[in-house]
Amino acid sequence: MIPREHKLKIGVSGIRGEVGEFLTPSLACGFAQAFGTYVGAGRVVVGRDTRASGEMIQHAVCCGLLAAGCEVIDVGILPTPTIQVYVGSAGCRGGIAITASHNPPEYNALKLFNRHGLFFNHYERGELLDLYHQSDFQHATNAQIRRIASDMETPRRLHCERVLQFVDVERIRNKRFRVALDGVNGAGSLLSVEFLRDRLGCDLRAMSVDPSRPFPREAEPRPDTLGDLSELVRREGCDVGFGQDPDGDRLAIADETGRVIDNDDVLALVVDGVLRRLPGDVVVNLTTSSVIDDVASAHGRRVYRTPVGEANVVESMRAVKAAIGGEGSNGGIIFPAVQYCRDSYTGMAFILDRMAAAGEPFSVIAGRLPRYWRIAGRMDFEHGRLGMLMQSIEEALQAPAVDRSDGLKLIWPDGWIHVRASNTEPLLRMAVEAASEARLRQLQDRLRQFWGQ
Amino acid sequence: MSAPNSLRISHVGLRGIVGSGLHAAHVLDFAAAFGTFLETAGAVVIGRDPRASGVMIREGVVAALLACGRDVVDLGVVSTPVIQHNIGRLEAAGGISIGASHNAAEWNALKFFGRDGTYLSTAEAGELLDIYHLRKFQFAPYDRLGSSRLLEDAVDWYLDRLAEVYDFAALRGVRVLADCTNGTSSLLLRRISERFGMDIHLINAAMEGVEFAHPPSTTAKMVALQLAPLVTLVGAAAGFLFDVDSDRVAIATEQGEAVSEEMVLPLLADHVLPRSEGKLVITNLSSTALLEEVASGHGARVLRVPVGRQAAMDALASYRPEQIALAGEGTGAVMLPQFRFVYDGIASMLEVLTMMRERGQRLSEIVRSYPRYSMLKAEVPLESTLVPDLLMELRQAYSDGTANIADGLRIDWPGRWFHIRVSQTEPIVRVICEQKGEPPQKLFDDVLDHVRRMA
Repeated sequence: MIPREHKLKIGVSGIRGEVGEFLTPSLACGFAQAFGTYVGAGRVVVGRDTRASGEMIQHAVCCGLLAAGCEVIDVGILPTPTIQVYVGSAGCRGGIAITASHNPPEYNALKLFNRHGLFFNHYERGELLDLYHQSDFQHATNAQIRRIASDMETPRRLHCERVLQFVDVERIRNKRFRVALDGVNGAGSLLSVEFLRDRLGCDLRAMSVDPSRPFPREAEPRPDTLGDLSELVRREGCDVGFGQDPDGDRLAIADETGRVIDNDDVLALVVDGVLRRLPGDVVVNLTTSSVIDDVASAHGRRVYRTPVGEANVVESMRAVKAAIGGEGSNGGIIFPAVQYCRDSYTGMAFILDRMAAAGEPFSVIAGRLPRYWRIAGRMDFEHGRLGMLMQSIEEALQAPAVDRSDGLKLIWPDGWIHVRASNTEPLLRMAVEAASEARLRQLQDRLRQFWGQ
Repeated sequence: MSAPNSLRISHVGLRGIVGSGLHAAHVLDFAAAFGTFLETAGAVVIGRDPRASGVMIREGVVAALLACGRDVVDLGVVSTPVIQHNIGRLEAAGGISIGASHNAAEWNALKFFGRDGTYLSTAEAGELLDIYHLRKFQFAPYDRLGSSRLLEDAVDWYLDRLAEVYDFAALRGVRVLADCTNGTSSLLLRRISERFGMDIHLINAAMEGVEFAHPPSTTAKMVALQLAPLVTLVGAAAGFLFDVDSDRVAIATEQGEAVSEEMVLPLLADHVLPRSEGKLVITNLSSTALLEEVASGHGARVLRVPVGRQAAMDALASYRPEQIALAGEGTGAVMLPQFRFVYDGIASMLEVLTMMRERGQRLSEIVRSYPRYSMLKAEVPLESTLVPDLLMELRQAYSDGTANIADGLRIDWPGRWFHIRVSQTEPIVRVICEQKGEPPQKLFDDVLDHVRRMA
C-alpha cells in the first residue's frame, strides 16, 4: 500500500489541515469567504481554541468574512459549545469556531455553524463546498464592508446559565465537592475554573488551565491520556476528576480512586441524570454501548441509533425531539435544552448533580451501571476492499439482527460488532461489546480471522 | 476607468477598487509574498487609513504575515509617514501601509516599506512581484507563527521626530486652517494642537470610512472649491489641504487664494536650499520649471526623472543622502532633507509655516515674490499601439527644442516646454505644457492637434 499523507482535508466536514504548508491563510480566508457568501451579509460569530495557529487563522477568517460583507462578532478564546450557544441566541447568520478539537496541536480546522448554532446538515455542507470550489464569492465594496465587534462576556454567562438551570446548584454548592480538572490548556481552561469553582462552589484542584501554554498531553481525553488527572485525584483526595479536550466539547471522568471510566459510562450517567429530570427519548450512534438501552428502558424511554458523527446524532435528536443524546465512544454529550452540540459543561453539571443527590462516592454510582465488556480498534485497509470485506463478515458471522446504515453492525442478544470506515482517515474502525468477558473474546476471535491474525 | 479593470499590481504595490478589482485573495497572497521576501529579522509594522475596507485588508495582511512567522505591530489608523518613522524606531524588518492616499473612497492599496521605512527599490519590488506571481510562499511551522500587537504611541513618537526639526513653540501664535479630507491628518493635527498648543482649525476632520466630503485630491482646484473661501473667514495665516494618508498637501494663502499644487515644491526648495548641504533637487519631468529658476538662485541643480514614485526612489538611492536637498512632485508630495525616506504633508506644512515666520512675510507675499509660470494640462484617450508613432512625429515636428525621452517625450525651449506621456493606469496620454508668464495656448493647441489627429 502506498502511504499517503492526509495533512489537508477539504470536504463536506469543512476544512482541516496541518498549519504551515497545508492549511494556509489563503485557504482559511477563501473558505470563510465562501461561508460568508453562503450565510449572507449579516453578523457572524468567530471564536477559537488555544492552538498556536489560532490567532493567524482567526485573522484570515475575519478577512474572508468581511470581504463577503459580513459583520464579525469576535468572542475570543472559548469552548466550541459556548460559541454554539451564543450563535444560537445572538440573532446571527452563523458562526465559525477555529479549532481542530481533539487533533494534535499542529492541526487546525474550521467548525461551521448555521444561525441556530448547529452544524450544517449534509445538504447545506454540500452546497457550501460547491460554492467554495466555484470560487463564486460575494465581494463586498468599501461601502458594504462592515466592522469587527467583540463580545467577550455574554457567551460565558449565557452558557453557564443555560446549563445550571437544569441542576440543583444550591445542593451541589453545599456539598463543596473537591474536584480535579485537567483543562489541557484549552479553550475551556478559564470558563471551567469559573464554572466549577465560582458557580458550583467546588474546592477545585486544577491543572493545565493556562490558555497561553501548549497542550501538555495528547489532546483527546481518554483513559490512556489522563494519567496526570488520575494522579491529581489521588494526591489531592478529590471526589471526582474531569478531563476536557482543547475545545471543551468532549469530557472524560476519573472516579475518586483515580480510575478513568469508560466514555460510554459517562454518557450513560448523564443520560440517567437528564431522564430523571426531563421527558423525552434518547439518540446515540451505532457504536455507543448497550448500557444506554438499559438506562433508558429503566426510565421507560426509547433509544434511537444513528450513523457515527455529531451531525447525524443531532439531526435525529431534532426529529424525535430527544431529551438527551450523544456519542459514547468519543465523550460527546448532547443536551438540546442547552444547545444541540457536544458539551462537557452539561456533563460536569449533571454528574455533580447526581453525586449531590445520591450522597455516594462516584465509583459507587458508576458501579451500579450494568457491566459490559468493550473493545475498540482500528485497522489500515485498502480502498476498494471495503464492500467485499463487509459482505464476507456478514455472511460468515450470521447475526440475528443487522444494521447497515453506517458500515456494518451485527447484533446478538448478548453482544454486537460494529465495523465501519473512518470519515476522516483511511482506517477501518471496529467496536465489539458483549455482556460477558468470555463472549467478548469469542466475538473478537471471530472477527480477527478476517485480518488473518 | 471601468470597475472590472481597476486592479493594478506593479512595482509600487497593489491597488484597486475593493470588491470589483481588489479582493481578499490578492491581499493575502501579496502580503505572504512580502513575508517571504523579507530577509532580515524583525517585525512588520502596519497601519491603515480610515477607509472601511481597511479592516478587511488588515486582517488579510496580518494573517499572511503571521503565517510567514513574522510578528506584526499594528499602529491602527495612522498616516503613512507615521508608519515609516516607526519602522526605524522598532528596528522592524519592514512595513505595510494600507490606504489609497489620493484615490476615491472605494479604492484601497498596499504600499510596502523596507528597513528604516524606505520605499522598496525597483529591484526589490521586482523580486517581491516575482514571489507574488510564483505563489511559492515560505510559511512557518505551526509553533513558529508570529503574533500581533497594537502600539498606542506611534503618533507621539512621530511628532517627537518633527519636534526635533521644527520649533513648534515659535509657531503657536499662527492660526492655521486645515482641510483633512476626512483622513488621518485630523488626528495628527489635533495631537499637535494638544501637545504644542498650536492654533489649528480643522474642517472635514471626522475620519470617515465610506464617504469623503470631497475627492481627496491635492489640487489648487480642490483648494479653491473647499478650503480657500474659509481661510479669510477663520482669519487664518494659511490653509492646508491634505490627502487621506497625509503624504500630500495643497495650500491656500491668508487672502483665500488657492496656490497651484506646482508651487509647493519650489516654495519648499527656496526655504530649504540655503540651509541644506545637499544641492540636488529631484523631481519628475512633468513638474514646473520654476523649480530650476529657484534652484539656480541657490546654486543648486534639478534632476528630472520619469513620473511616479518609483523613479524618484531609484534616483534618491543613486546619490549619497547628503547630496540631496529635497525631492518631490507637482502633486504636493515632498520629501524634506531631514526625512529623506518619506513624503510627508504635515512636515511640508510645518516647513511653510516656518518659512513665513523666519521671513516675517505673509504667505500671499511669499507666493507673489516668484515669477509667474502658466501650465496647461489635458488628457486624450489613445491606443497604446499608436504611442511610438505619435512621439516620433512630435519629436520631428519640434526638432528645434531639446528633447528628453526618459518618460514619453519632453521638449524644452528657453522659458517654455511640453511633456507628453502615457498614463501608467489608463489608456490615455497626458499633455502638459508650461511657459514663463502667459499660458502657452498656441503650443498646447498645436501639440493636442497632433495627438487628436492620431487618435
